[in-house]
Amino acid sequence: MTQFINMLLIGIGAGSIYALMAIAMVLVWRSTRVINFAQAGMALLSTYIGFELVQKTGNFWIALPLAMVLGALFSALVEILLIRTLIRHSTSGPVAGIVPIIATLGLLGFIRAMIGFIWGNQDVQIQPPLSKIGFKVGQETIALSPMNLLVLITVLAMVLILGFIFQKTNLGLSLRASAYSPEIAQLAGVRVGAIRTIGWSIAGAAGAAAGLLQTVNGTGTVSPDSLEFSLLLTFGFIAAVIGGLESLPGAVLGAVVLGLVLAFVQIYISGTLVFIVAFALLLLVLLIRPQGFIGTKAGRRA
Amino acid sequence: MLKKHPLTAFILFGLLLFLLSNRVDELRVFQGATVAIYVIAIASIILLTGYSGQVSLGHGALLAIGGYAAALSRNHWGAPVWLAFCIAVLAAAMGGYLLGLAAARLSGPYLAGTTLALAIGLPSIANQFSIFGGEQGLLFDIGAPPASLGADFTQYKWYFWIAALAALIIIYWLRNVMNSRYGRNWKAVRGNDVAAELAGINVGRNKVLAFTISAGIAGLAGALLAMTISTVSPGAFPLALSFSLATGAVLSGVTTLGGVMIGAVTLVAIPEIVDSVVSRYETSETVANNLPGLLVSTLLILTVLFVPNGPVEQMRARHERRAKR
Repeated sequence: MTQFINMLLIGIGAGSIYALMAIAMVLVWRSTRVINFAQAGMALLSTYIGFELVQKTGNFWIALPLAMVLGALFSALVEILLIRTLIRHSTSGPVAGIVPIIATLGLLGFIRAMIGFIWGNQDVQIQPPLSKIGFKVGQETIALSPMNLLVLITVLAMVLILGFIFQKTNLGLSLRASAYSPEIAQLAGVRVGAIRTIGWSIAGAAGAAAGLLQTVNGTGTVSPDSLEFSLLLTFGFIAAVIGGLESLPGAVLGAVVLGLVLAFVQIYISGTLVFIVAFALLLLVLLIRPQGFIGTKAGRRA
Repeated sequence: MLKKHPLTAFILFGLLLFLLSNRVDELRVFQGATVAIYVIAIASIILLTGYSGQVSLGHGALLAIGGYAAALSRNHWGAPVWLAFCIAVLAAAMGGYLLGLAAARLSGPYLAGTTLALAIGLPSIANQFSIFGGEQGLLFDIGAPPASLGADFTQYKWYFWIAALAALIIIYWLRNVMNSRYGRNWKAVRGNDVAAELAGINVGRNKVLAFTISAGIAGLAGALLAMTISTVSPGAFPLALSFSLATGAVLSGVTTLGGVMIGAVTLVAIPEIVDSVVSRYETSETVANNLPGLLVSTLLILTVLFVPNGPVEQMRARHERRAKR
């Protein structure tokens, strides 16, 4: 029984971080129809910036929001410098589909190399702000530490804030309108270019939070070649796709389902199988319900 | 020459390589073998892209299937070398067929992401089952070159001969396939799959076929790669390999086979160039570690921004424009 509860806790904890990554991918996809394979690299950069800020200020609570703001700025910069150029140059030829994929892949390599130049290729360590020892319930220690609780609360708060922005504010309306149809939104007076940049910057902030929280929640160390960030990218992508790639609640749902499935595999079967199970889950969803958990038949436009 | 008598041209090129391999030192011969292997792997991606307009980010996984299949068949059944290579092709093609069944229904960035997930997921299987030898992997020894080639015929030269011959055969064959009915079908599907369907082409079957052939060729490249390093292990097929192959394909130009050497040579040359820069200016280790990545990714971004069709296609387009005028 304890094992089962631990599985649920681990699954939801991991899923909540994938959710941030999935949200970032969905926001970028909705605003520019690009899957940002550099999302993990951008999250990695924000994590290093977070590391510097923790060093300077000595306080994780100041470093996290600051890193998110800087991550958002960097993401906006990428949109303005790279993605706009890409869209302006875009050809309708046979390679039109691969250009954004390759460009973001190139960006990923570029960011990694830059991080290597600045911080070197060794691990750097970020102290977790809270204890990572699980709470005690009766005799048993459960897989929920103050740190995990913090991650859950942060993610929940972000999802709620994003949900509020999207549903209740004019900005959210513009974001949704330009995702639905850029032309119509433009005619209705939405400044689609600016809205795209905002979409990217929110994604950058979410990615920064995902990177920092994943790091302090996990090993506490990062290096330019961290496997964790490849995983964050893959699992974030898988969560976004099984959630439908168009909807934010879908991304969160997809991430939590993925987290739970992987936790189940990890605890009851074998830890080394998680990647292949994640891949199988992705294939299964794409074959049976390509529009994702949440999404209409016409939802998949690619 | 290449247009009128392609077979003669290929044989002459092969002879040239053979003469060259006797003139240069061991390191260059080994690099030559690596270039030949990259040529095969990149050609397999170009073939795949030739039908879908999509690039696979997970070809490293298919290479891994080929490498492991070759090593397993040789270690367990004592298969002769040529048979091990055939088994590698078949096994990878089978994997590609299964993946293709799913991929035929995927378009847009879905295929890229799915193949990426495969490339991350597949190596972990090697750690799960003891038959694959875990982190250390398996030995794959093709043996010394035949004695009839002479006593001073080195192992690396033997690798180079095998890899170069395989590359020449594969490129010649692919060139013919691309010009055949299948190649035309793939081009039609790539151009507009609805129009292709209306013209009587079975889009789904063609996509799966292209994926299967591409995977088989990737499997051969994997077996050859395993040959040059004498082992197969999860570490030999990292995500970085998949990314470099995709990079090589883009640098070569994904719409034509004509530029396949460009990407392969670039992939081998960049570490070499960085080495010489580092040793000349005695820069720090940080620069040596990160300069290759920086060069490759910058080259990649510039390529997609300015010559998205690849240098060869770009030159041809310019040539055609000038001819019209």
